[in-house]
Amino acid sequence: MPAETHVEKGPIERHEVFELVRDQLADILEIEPGAISESSSFAEDLDADSLALIELVEALEEELGERTVGFRIEDEDLEDLRTVRDAVDYVVAKLGAG
Amino acid sequence: MPRAGPRPEAPTAGLPVAVDAMGGDNAPGAIVAGARRAVEELGVPVVLVGPPELVGDTGGIEVIPASEVIAMDDDPGSSVRRKKDSSLVRAAEAVRDGRALAMVSAGNTGAAMASALLRMGRLKGVVRPAIATPIPQLGAHPIVLLDAGANAECTEAMLVQFAQMGAAYASARYGVTEPTVALLSIGEEKSKGTPLVKEVHALLEQTPGLRFVGNVEGRDLLHAPADVVVTDGFTGNVALKTLEGSLRFFMDTILEVFSADEEAKAAAEVMLPRLAPLAAEFDPDGIGGAMLLGVDGVCVISHGSSGERAIVSAVGVAHDVATAGLVDRLARAVATS
Repeated sequence: MPAETHVEKGPIERHEVFELVRDQLADILEIEPGAISESSSFAEDLDADSLALIELVEALEEELGERTVGFRIEDEDLEDLRTVRDAVDYVVAKLGAG
Repeated sequence: MPRAGPRPEAPTAGLPVAVDAMGGDNAPGAIVAGARRAVEELGVPVVLVGPPELVGDTGGIEVIPASEVIAMDDDPGSSVRRKKDSSLVRAAEAVRDGRALAMVSAGNTGAAMASALLRMGRLKGVVRPAIATPIPQLGAHPIVLLDAGANAECTEAMLVQFAQMGAAYASARYGVTEPTVALLSIGEEKSKGTPLVKEVHALLEQTPGLRFVGNVEGRDLLHAPADVVVTDGFTGNVALKTLEGSLRFFMDTILEVFSADEEAKAAAEVMLPRLAPLAAEFDPDGIGGAMLLGVDGVCVISHGSSGERAIVSAVGVAHDVATAGLVDRLARAVATS
């Protein structure tokens, strides 16, 4: 996390991170948010390809960047994110929220 | 190449086409030369995108500065995220920001797609963008083959959308009023093909506003009974490369036969002038490149070995479909699904 990172708004709760990931993913994949759960696998359950994941990453960086300056998801970490839960855990850890 | 007939005017008329000066095997030299020719021959305004010190003499064409270059073998997604000041990304941003009417690149196809997708955004309702490639037909306008490689794996919904977007593109590009659409399979009967193809066949039969004419086979692609042929990106790319390789082999073989001996050379003097116009119809440089359909802007992807003429064609096509309202047509087409 860059040194200049700081919280601009109140801390974000884990369920809020899930809702953000779910809603962005639903918008990108043109599916209902209700079809996405924490256990959903990006590739197997949601048919999300690598470009869809990059769309998700850019959208999350834009949304969360407004809240936490310098928020960034590292490209080399992307391949470890296989499920929605992985992504939520990753973002929560990056934000230091809980 | 003179422009034939009047072009429809749109509010965006007068905006330049953004050309990625650093994209392709012959960049920047042939790309810049092609851009200059497009201005001179087509009267289409152009803006080049790239490092000004590498772009060189543009003949007065404005340059949008970009300090980085995405190489042909760079990973598409990560390179677009890493190289935010690349010519490809800046070209897509020029379209997004309303500084350019459309973008043209002969660079890394995947990165061009990622740049357009991430910067221009997807059209509302589009599941995944597709690459539409023109396939020449003798004595007729080219047909539109999609997807030509953007999505190796597809769902039923994606293929139905590709059919709708392909039809909208055929209308905007070739002026076909009610384009016919076919599905690529291994037999004309609806019972032929993979489970996905059979399911899509059934869905296309019921899709309102679509003139679905059934299945076609690979052998039909150069003499297709439809304006649009739909398939998944893996099959489409294999079909396209097979066609390209076969045509190249066929042409090389004919030239070899014609130079075999004196009698053959004499025959060539008679035959080659008659064959040359046919060969020209299949020259990819004259067709104008592939179109990325489903993003909120016009993005033409020219082949990696594009020379001047290919860029002139691509700029012309980009300008024509943008002013013909391609993006609005695509948005309307997918909204009916």
